[in-house]
This record gives sequence, structure tokens and C-alpha cells, in this order.
Amino acid sequence: MKILIVDDFSTMRRIIKNLLRDLGFTNTEEADDGTTALPMLQSGKFELLVTDWNMPGMQGIDLLKHVRADENLSSLPVLMVTAEQKKEQIVEAAQAGVNGYIVKPFTAQTLKEKLEKMFERLEA
Amino acid sequence: MNNDVLMNEDNLARTRDLQACIEAGDEKGAKEIIDDLTDIRENTLYQEVGKLTRELHDAISAFGMDDRISDMTEHDIPDARQRLNFVITKTADAADRTLTAVEESIPICENMETQAAEILESWRQFTKREMDAEGFRKLSKEIDGFLLTQSDGFSTIKGHLNDVLMAQDFQDLTGQIIKRVINLVAEVEGNLVNLIKIAGLPEHAENEREKTREKLEGPVVPGVDSGETVSGQDEVDDLLSSLGF
Repeated sequence: MKILIVDDFSTMRRIIKNLLRDLGFTNTEEADDGTTALPMLQSGKFELLVTDWNMPGMQGIDLLKHVRADENLSSLPVLMVTAEQKKEQIVEAAQAGVNGYIVKPFTAQTLKEKLEKMFERLEA
Repeated sequence: MNNDVLMNEDNLARTRDLQACIEAGDEKGAKEIIDDLTDIRENTLYQEVGKLTRELHDAISAFGMDDRISDMTEHDIPDARQRLNFVITKTADAADRTLTAVEESIPICENMETQAAEILESWRQFTKREMDAEGFRKLSKEIDGFLLTQSDGFSTIKGHLNDVLMAQDFQDLTGQIIKRVINLVAEVEGNLVNLIKIAGLPEHAENEREKTREKLEGPVVPGVDSGETVSGQDEVDDLLSSLGF
């Protein structure tokens, strides 16, 4: 499975990349904000998007909205991993069509559970 | 806002024109007049801010505080900025060093894990007496090689663990720096409160502050109220499931 990791902090991208590799997902690419991520998604045949919310350039929520509005990407599973913990933001992400929402700091176990749950729901 | 700025003949004429424009359905004309009125209001606001700034400055001079304040603005605050940037650099550097050490250790562990599993399987065959002499010779060579790579691997991993340990040295430095900046912020806050008192300005209402808050809050900090937030992954999950997730 090809996965795109979007976060403005390279350390967070590395952490997520390592955790994903540990879960058996070795095919990952990285982008540092929505503006860089969107063209990659449009040309790259990714099967999962893991994105932060608060980034310079295009933010994660806007990236999510662009993905949902793009007919070729609209069904791409999107997992949001963010430090934003305001209820209205979580609701906004849900309404924008996010498939999973993880708050930072998070554990390897949480990432594993959310991914499994997401794929279960998508297969159902 | 000063009444005399708005209460004059010109503005009276403008409002009559505005009424006439609206009655005549002339939207462009009406817009122009409203823009004019807004400009007048804004200009007055700038004048007021200018006046206030001047008064504030005079008040500071009178209070005899401006040595310390100018010292803070010229020296302490840029200095604090530099220090905080140093905190960012140090913590990023520590995270990078730690991640590199981990990333370099994981393949070594994986390799040892695989080799051990292979040898274990052969060893089981041997203990069940399912191995001939040739097989045993091969196994002892494998064990020999394995022990050798183990020894190398462990010393490399030990080196990496040491790197991880040493990468934590930022905590001491960044802790001290952040404490100093906290003290500075407290001092600035104290002085600003004094200024507000001198200038006789009413303290800002809470709802004014709400409006100027950034939309994104960032990480929740214990003890700092930031509105309706969830306190962890479980509450996120609860909230999402209440939305039908």
C-alpha cells in the first residue's frame, strides 16, 4: 500500500514513517504541506493519506477538502494526525469527510488501532 | 469617537444624498457615499490611536520607567527570541539524532531476529535427531557466524543507545532558557499592566480577546484554558462515534 505522509515537521514525518514501516507499510512518501502534497496525490496513485492539520501553505483540513472535491481522489482514505484538540475542529474534520482522527501525542498502538478500524470500515 | 467629526453640515448633506440614492435605486452612488463616511470614521480612529500613543509615551516618560522598558525592547526581547530559536534548534537536533540512532538500529535488530529464527528451526531439527552430520556441520557454521554478527550488532546498537542518551542533554539547557524567558514575559506583563493603569484605559473585556484569538489552538497545555477541547484520544473517539463514526 502506497502512503503519503504530510507534516511540516520532519521529525514527525520520520516518526510516522517508522511506525508505519513497523506495521508493514514500507511504501511511503513525504510532503511538508498541502500545497506540495496535492500534486503528489494527483499523480502518485496513493492508497492512504496521513496528514497533520496545522501547516504553513495549505493546511491539512483544506487538503482534505481538496481531496474530497477531486473526482479521482474523493474516495482516498484520509487519517488526520494533529495536535488540534478543539471539539469544533474535530467536528469540522468529520464533516469534511475524514476517515480517522488521531491527536498528538499518540502511541504506536493508537496508530495501529485506528488504521485497522479505518480499513475494516472501508471494506464493510 | 469625537462627535464633532461626524456632526457637521457636510455629513448631513451626505446622508441626504445617500437617502436620495437609495430611493432612486442608485446602488453605485449609495456605495460611494458609504465609503466616504467610512473613510472619515477610519481617519478619526487613526488620529485617536496616534494621540493615545503620544499620551502613553508621555506617561511612560513621566513614570520614569522608560529606561527599563527600552532596555527590554532593545535588548531583552530580541535576546529572548534568539534564545527561543535556540530551543527549537536544540530540540529538533535531539529529535533528529534520536531518530537516526533508532533508524540505524532497527535493521540490525530485524537481521538478528531473522537469523535467530532460522537457527532456532535448524536447532529444533537437531534436538529431534532429524539432522545428519552434514546438516550439523552447516548448523555449527551458521551458529558461529550468528554469534559473530550478534556481537558486532550489539556493540553497534549499544553505540546508538548511547547516542539516544546523549541526545537528551538538551533538556537541561532548554529548561533553563525557557525559565528565563518566562521571567522576562512576567516582567513585561507587569510593566504593561502599569502602563494601562497610567493611561487610564479600561482593561480589555474577555470577549474582545476571544475575537483576536487564532483559529487553530495547537497543542493543549495543562492549566491553560483554550475553550472546548478533548483531553485525549478516547474523547476524540467518543466524539466521533457520537457523530456516527
